[in-house]
Amino acid sequence: MKAQPRGTDGSLLASLPWTLGALGLALAPHLPYLPIWITIASLGCAAWRYSIEKRRRLLPSRWVRGGLALACFLGVLVTYSSVSGVGPGSALLAIMAGLKLLETRRRRDQFVLLFISIFLVMSSLLREQYLWSLLYLIVSTLVILTAWLRMSAAESETAKQSFVTGSRLLLYAAPLAIVMWVFFPRIATPFWAVPIDTSRATSGLSATMSPGDISSLSMSNEVAFRVRFADIVPAPRDRYWRGLVLTSFNGRTWAGTEPRIGSPASKQIAVRGEPITYEVTLEPTRQHWVFAIDIPMSWSLKNTFMGPQQQLMRVHPIDQRVAYEVVSYVDYRIEAELPKLFRDWYLKIPDNSNRRAAELARQMRSATGSDVAYIEAVLAKFHNEEYYYTLEPPPLGSSPVDRFLFDTRRGFCEHYASAFAFLMRSAGIPARIVLGYQGGEINPLGGHLIVRQSDAHAWTEVWLPETGWYRVDPTAAVAPERIDYGTLDVAFDGLGATWGFAASSQLLHRLSLTLDALNARWNDWVLGYGPDTQKKFMEWLGMQNPDWRKMMLTLVTIVIALIILISGLLMLRYRKPAQDRAAILYWRFVKQTGMQPHLGETAADFARRVAVDGTLDRQSVNNVITAYLDARYGPADDASLLRLKNAVTAIG
Amino acid sequence: MQRGITLEQLPTGIDAQRNTILQARKTLGKIILGKDPQIALALACLLARGHLLIEDLPGLGKTMLAQALAHTLGLEFRRIQFTSDLLPADVVGVSVFRQDSGKFEFQPGPIFSQLVLADEVNRATPKAQSALLEAMEEHQVTVDGNTMPLSEPFFVIATQNPGDQIGTFPLPESQLDRFLMRVEIGYPDEASERELIAGGDRRAMIAEIEPVAGPEMLIALQKSVRAQHLSEPLIDYIQALVRHTRESAEIDIGLSPRGSQALVAAARAHAYVENHSGVYPDDVQAIFAAVAGHRLKPAGSTRFRSPAELCQHVLDSVAIP
Repeated sequence: MKAQPRGTDGSLLASLPWTLGALGLALAPHLPYLPIWITIASLGCAAWRYSIEKRRRLLPSRWVRGGLALACFLGVLVTYSSVSGVGPGSALLAIMAGLKLLETRRRRDQFVLLFISIFLVMSSLLREQYLWSLLYLIVSTLVILTAWLRMSAAESETAKQSFVTGSRLLLYAAPLAIVMWVFFPRIATPFWAVPIDTSRATSGLSATMSPGDISSLSMSNEVAFRVRFADIVPAPRDRYWRGLVLTSFNGRTWAGTEPRIGSPASKQIAVRGEPITYEVTLEPTRQHWVFAIDIPMSWSLKNTFMGPQQQLMRVHPIDQRVAYEVVSYVDYRIEAELPKLFRDWYLKIPDNSNRRAAELARQMRSATGSDVAYIEAVLAKFHNEEYYYTLEPPPLGSSPVDRFLFDTRRGFCEHYASAFAFLMRSAGIPARIVLGYQGGEINPLGGHLIVRQSDAHAWTEVWLPETGWYRVDPTAAVAPERIDYGTLDVAFDGLGATWGFAASSQLLHRLSLTLDALNARWNDWVLGYGPDTQKKFMEWLGMQNPDWRKMMLTLVTIVIALIILISGLLMLRYRKPAQDRAAILYWRFVKQTGMQPHLGETAADFARRVAVDGTLDRQSVNNVITAYLDARYGPADDASLLRLKNAVTAIG
Repeated sequence: MQRGITLEQLPTGIDAQRNTILQARKTLGKIILGKDPQIALALACLLARGHLLIEDLPGLGKTMLAQALAHTLGLEFRRIQFTSDLLPADVVGVSVFRQDSGKFEFQPGPIFSQLVLADEVNRATPKAQSALLEAMEEHQVTVDGNTMPLSEPFFVIATQNPGDQIGTFPLPESQLDRFLMRVEIGYPDEASERELIAGGDRRAMIAEIEPVAGPEMLIALQKSVRAQHLSEPLIDYIQALVRHTRESAEIDIGLSPRGSQALVAAARAHAYVENHSGVYPDDVQAIFAAVAGHRLKPAGSTRFRSPAELCQHVLDSVAIP
């Protein structure tokens, strides 16, 4: 292979900044997810390439480029210990796009770069699919298109003209994209699986709970899920979103190991009162738990079962946003009968830790007459004595319950739930801890309920022979406002104060609610457009029994129709400047003569040639030509046009 | 010597102007035999208010054409024979000290005339040439610090002999640009030559020419020329031609915007001379070689031997809208 010349002549100088800009825009959404050295290396390549063009230096030799490529490949391999998957894949794509700049010598190479940019823009959707991702997508595609047009543009074309052309092209493509998106058949189980980047798992609930290990609860405002109620909206104190249940305690940590039960968990529930129907749109958690208001009786999510402690779980983790309908009852009874085996399980506490708390429990139980009175007494202790609700409690060490109950007396829901459950078990009352969310905020703009990560909550359930499993929330005894109002206002005030504009925190809150409403719509209508929604939509459009064949057929038909329509419009737009009628008549005459005018032959010269040829009458040819010259090149005048028409017709 | 006739003596109006052109062509055709296209070009050049450069070998009637034009159009006519010892003062004039008045008095040179024939313009030194060319450009001369306007109308017809190489100073491109047209006359055809041989003395015939117009008429004609209709397709055509001269591989330097203006002006005048209802592509083709020939710089590798051939090639490569 012959080595190509490495010199540059500065001819790319005009279009290179556009290409670099397009590439930069395409890369930007990936960079926060990629190791920092990739950003630096890509920027370095871009700056290097630009200076080469500017100063008309030589491009690096093949050996240098090869060496760099190998080094970057190894770098990615070392960073990720893999080269497949979204993370390493986009890292490789990003760094190789940067390196490609170093061998960009001609226009063709720039086209390749722009292709890569488009691919990068699309692949950024594997990471984020927010509403603004779409806006960003449109903007960056527009810039790439403009860069493309800059490259093939005539020198006289301004950047603005290219941009306008690019926008127009995008506009022409928009109906096609929308139709394809609407009609392309969605298949229930996708046969292509998108490898999700797991490097930034969303924070959510963890499978275990160790009060005192974490000394500060993150007040993440990230949305956990959104809920749209069909009719009844339960009061804040009834909005206990059941997640997982923790049953075993080793002195420090509550974990979710559970005893198996013979009969289905749902069979043990008795409900009363009005059902609450609602739809939950759950953000991906990469965990199995499915959240619903205590206590769910039926749900629409597939492959989801009720666990032995009435928690809902899906067989495979929730990797993508899911929407499901649930029917719940807030008035319920669970497991009136608890066999001895399970009773013992729910009473188990480690012997060698938290002795003071166990002793306290025994004393209090003997002082009170019944289990119910004992529960009341413990709650009263939390309420009346010096116990505080705080999000930044001190760490607790090896006997967390003792230390919390007697020394620190500060904590959030986990501390109270853990201490309460321990006190219950020590006194012989079966108890377990439920993790989930509590409360949520109604977005007045969207009409839906937003439950955020900061609404995460832990509470307890105790089993009494008379009532079965019965929810007791010790946090409510300490900080009733946490349960009745939620904590969000506090959180937002804090945020506003930190940024130094406490006064406008209300405005900020409104803005955030507006954004949330928009996002909810986006999730419902765009991201949530799955097989079921599509089917419903097709039926609404009037398609009988929609299946993928019909949708495909409709899609192809509409796409073809659109292409014809759009190209028709384009043809109308770009049709040759309307030829005047004189020219049309002249070409009719030319056809009649059976001869072709040469390039650059005037009508008069052509007529002379035709006259010499002799098949047509010399006089009538003359008439045509004089009339044509008058009509076409003389002052606009209908009479000469008529003369021309008559003359041409006379020949035909 | 004022040979023109006044406006009162002439019929006025469009028909009169048409008649004048017709008469002029007829008269000139009697003197310069078989050279109707060149006569039309020369007339068009003057009507477009441009200066004319006639370039051909000796004895082909260059001077004759210029003289005949002057007489036919009834213009005041002076001739300057350019030689290598010609001084600018010989063209422009000189201030002479008068003893009786004790003052310097300006003696106007031959340039103070309505039609100036600069014969063999390439024989003079650049200094003398530029005296003429400056006057052509500015329509005024400056002597001893006094600026004096030239007569109106003011035309220069220059002739040069391309065959002469020794002792000549060819006009540079920038000065060639001052001439609207460069016309070559060429040999007469058989019939015309026969008539020429058999016919009478041309000089005597010129002296007998009855003028068909005068300066005022000429100004009126020039005004009509500027009103000649120019259609959209024709503008497209001229643009296409100009673009081709700029983009063609055969041409190093294409037509400037002044060149395209010259094309339009000349085509208009030619259409007027030919009595066309508007400017036709034929008019453009007729004047193209004369207007563009001396403005184009052919590429070194060109296969065309003369500017005329190159211009014909351009015309043959551009479609007529």
